[in-house]
Order: sequence, then structure tokens, then C-alpha cells
Amino acid sequence: MIKLSNITKIYPPDITALHKVNLHIKPGEFVSVVGQSGTGKTTLVKLLISEEKADDGKIVIGGWDITAIGQAEISVLRRQIGVVFQDFKLLYKKTLFENVAFALQVCGEPQRKINNIVPQVLKIVGLENKMHRYPLQISGGEQQRAVIARALVHRPKILLADEPTGNLDSINADEIIEILQKINKFGTTVVLVTHNREVVNKLRKRVITIENGLVVGDQAVGKYVL
Amino acid sequence: MFLLSFLRVIKFSLQDIARNIWLSIITIIIITLALFSVNLLLTVKVLTSATVGAVKDKIDVSLYLKSEAPENLILALKSQIENIDSVAKVDYISKQAAIESFREKHKNDPEILQALLELGKNPLSPGLIIKPKDINNYDDLIVSLNKIDNDIIESRNFDDHKAILAKINNIADKASEAGLFISSLFVLITILVVYNAVRVAIFTHKREIGIMKLVGASTWFIRAPYLISGVIYALLGVVVAIIIIYPFLSLIQPYLASFFSGLKVNILDYYNSNFLLIFGLEFLAASLVNVLASLVAVGKYSKV
Ligand SMILES: Nc1ncnc2c1ncn2[C@@H]1O[C@H](COP(=O)(O)OP(=O)(O)O)[C@@H](O)[C@H]1O
Ligand SMILES: [Mg+2]
Repeated sequence: MIKLSNITKIYPPDITALHKVNLHIKPGEFVSVVGQSGTGKTTLVKLLISEEKADDGKIVIGGWDITAIGQAEISVLRRQIGVVFQDFKLLYKKTLFENVAFALQVCGEPQRKINNIVPQVLKIVGLENKMHRYPLQISGGEQQRAVIARALVHRPKILLADEPTGNLDSINADEIIEILQKINKFGTTVVLVTHNREVVNKLRKRVITIENGLVVGDQAVGKYVL
Repeated sequence: MFLLSFLRVIKFSLQDIARNIWLSIITIIIITLALFSVNLLLTVKVLTSATVGAVKDKIDVSLYLKSEAPENLILALKSQIENIDSVAKVDYISKQAAIESFREKHKNDPEILQALLELGKNPLSPGLIIKPKDINNYDDLIVSLNKIDNDIIESRNFDDHKAILAKINNIADKASEAGLFISSLFVLITILVVYNAVRVAIFTHKREIGIMKLVGASTWFIRAPYLISGVIYALLGVVVAIIIIYPFLSLIQPYLASFFSGLKVNILDYYNSNFLLIFGLEFLAASLVNVLASLVAVGKYSKV
């Protein structure tokens, strides 16, 4: 599903964020990527959605070489990959329903389809009873769940979550992880970037460890080793 | 599907304009000023060409003939002049016709008519009025006329109409130059203001744009609202310009009418009969300028 070969990313002038990274993630996997701050985890996520371009190497997603794709293809790519970042990025003047609907509207989806899908994805994250509330009327954990719902609107085959629990307490964090597991059970490949030791250890899934832009560990049933 | 997207784009763009309402108002005022100066320039052009046309029409050369010149010699001279290349037409004004037109001209002036009566005889001379074919060959015509040596010619009146025309053209050119300069200045300001308005709109929508990119909205969909804003600014600018220009023209029309008396030019009528052409072109031009300014701002500030 995701294959990185010899990926190197250098930010100007000379910050090497990733160095000759090789990775292979199979369809339906649930992979955690761990490592200290500033080791290149977010850079990895940005390369996967083509927000940054690699300086060397090759990235193939679902058989599609995205290493050097153009503007028009980037939007196609992003409809196939759901992304959740640490900062929630909801629009505060829109309700949860409108926030999720916005993602479909801007992709030109018809209203009928929007009215159909939005309640479905909000139900997956357990917000079906709060869809007409505004972001500031719900908790941080619920906001992050709404962001996950929005990431699901295109029924992506891959969900990338970059420190989705970073701003949450442990109870809310657990809920988010549960939702990610649920989505993974539906068949979606999930890549979870985190530096929450407890979360990783509880998951008992594959763990990839990055240190200073290098992959230093890759265990099938991993533990947070740093 | 396309129509739906298009309607959404227009909705987003109207939201932009409303959210930064003061900036939008300033932008529209600037566009209106630019259009107003362009229309001022147009007015100057219209008046100039009408004036020049009228003057050209009036340009002729008069040959005054001796009072006792016999008719047959006059007619011979007339046909001789008619044969000159640069002559369009020659009119013969007989003594009788001259006095009649003189009486007609001064029919409200009893003192002059009285004086004429007291004179007892017709004091006017017959004349030939020569119209040049082309005002640019005026000099050649004068040379040719000067060559004609005929005893019945009393005097030649070669007013330097060319100098008058040159003067009018000179004033008109100066007015046009000033108008062009002011218009260019406003167009330049318009570009900067629209550019800035779009830039601010993009900044206020940073979050939305970030989300749109993340969920895979096409570049076109992200950028189109700001380009549409440019067109909407142009449309509103033209509408406001029309609202301002008409009262302005009605205001100056009486002054123009008295200043250019005898000249058949009505600037209001001109605008009325060319309404679509004038404001349609102005709308197109303003849209083009605004969209170009928006494109630059969008290209610079909304990289995917
Ligand atoms: N846009 C950027 N320009 C320059 N340097 C960057 C940029 N983004 C990240 N970096 C640098 O690249 C390295 C990796 O960053 P990042 O991928 O965000 O790490 P992580 O997500 O693991 O904390 C860091 O040293 C960071 O300072
Ligand atoms: Mg990070």
C-alpha cells in the first residue's frame, strides 16, 4: 500500500529531516511511527500527501508513483488519504456537520451525497448526537473526533494521524485510539505517529522507530523503546 | 456538478467580499475612480473630435470680387477654380445673394438695416467660396489660388484656419495626455488595491484554504473565488461609476452646450447611444485588470 525507497528529505539550507528511509506498509496494517521530537515524523506524513517533495528516492502508494506528481494529481491523491494533525483545524463558525460537509463541498460533491455521508462518518466517531454543535461547544477530544470524521469523508484507503492525541488527556486519547482501531478494522490502513509510550505499548501492533531521520527499529509487535 | 461547484465558488467569493467589507468598499471606490477618469478621458476625446469636425467643416477660402465684375467672367473664374485638384466645391455668392444673407443675418438689428437703406445701393461684393477637398492640402490650395491672376479679384481672404485647428488639436492632445496619465495612475492603484484585497482575503481564509488543500479540493476550486472576487469588484465598480457619471454629465452638459455653441454635440446622448459598448468594454477591461492582479496574489499566497 505504501512503499518508500531510499527517501531523503533535506530542508534548505541543510537540515536533513529524513535520510535514505526504506519502508513498506501493507494494506490493512495498523502501524505506529514513534520517535523524539524533530526526528522527521511529520516530514514523513507530509511526503505521503505530497505537501513536501522528496529530494531523493521514490514513494509509491497503492501502485501509484507519487514522487513527482503535479498539482492536479495532488488533489486526487489527497482524496484517497485521510489526514489528522495534532492541531484540530476546525472552522469555528461552522457546526460539526458543516465542517465535515465543507470537505465534500469543496470537492464538488452534490448535496444529496453530502447529506448521506456526513451523518455516517460522524456516527463512526460517536458524534451523531452533537453534529449541530459548534467546535467551541464540545471538548478537545470530541473536536479531534470530528477531524477524524472529516478525514473519512472520501472513504480513504489510508488514514494518517500525526500525533492526534498530542493535545488530549489520557482518557480522550484512549477514545481516539479506539476509533482509529475501529477504522482499521473496516479495512483502512492506519499510520499513527505518536510519542505516547502508553498508547504504543497498549496497541501491540507494528512499531517503526525513527531517530534523527533514520529508521532505527521496525518490530511486528513493537514497544516504545526510546 | 460543474454548475454546483460554480455556484459554491460564487458563494465563497461573496463571503470573502462581505467578510472584508471595508477593504472591499475601498477597492470598489478605487475602481470607480479609475473608471471615472477613463470616462473623463473619453468625454474629452468625444468633444475634441466633434469640435475638430465642426471646424474642418467650416473651413473655406473666400475670394472677394470686384463689385462691377461681369457675371460671365465670374463664372469662368469659378470653373477655372473648380478644375484645381485640391478643390472640392466652389460656391458663387452674387451681390444679390450677399445682401440677402446680410439682411437675414442682421434682421434683428434695425440700426444696421437702416444704415443699409440710407446707403441706397448694394455695398457688398460678389464672392467665391472655395471648399478644400482635404484640410491637409490647404497649403497647396492657397498656393494654387495665389497663382491665379485675374483683374476681377478684389481680395483674397486666406484665414489661417490651419492654425486654429492646430490650436484645438494641441489643447485636446494636452487634455488627453493629462487624462491618460490620471487614468493610468488609477489603473495602477487599482491593480495594487485589488492585489492587496485578494491577499488579505486569502489570509483571512488561511484555515479554510489549509483544510481545502488537505481534503483534496482542486487548485481551481481553491483559487476561483478570489478570481471571481476580482470580477465582482469590477462589476460593482462599473455600476457605481454609471451612477456617478450620469448626474455628472447632466451637470456639465449645459455648460458644454453654451461653450460649444452651434456645435451639435450632446455628451449625454453620446453615452446613451453607446451605453453598452462603453460600459461593457469598461467592465471587461476592469475585470481583466482585476483578475490579473488576483491571479498574481493567488499564485503567490495560496501555494498548494
Ligand atoms: N518547513 C521546514 N523548513 C525547515 N526545516 C523544517 C521544516 N519542517 C521541519 N523542519 C525540520 O526538519 C526536522 C524534522 O521535523 P519534523 O518532521 O517536523 O519532526 P517531528 O514531526 O518528528 O517532530 C526538524 O529538525 C525540523 O526543524
Ligand atoms: Mg511532528
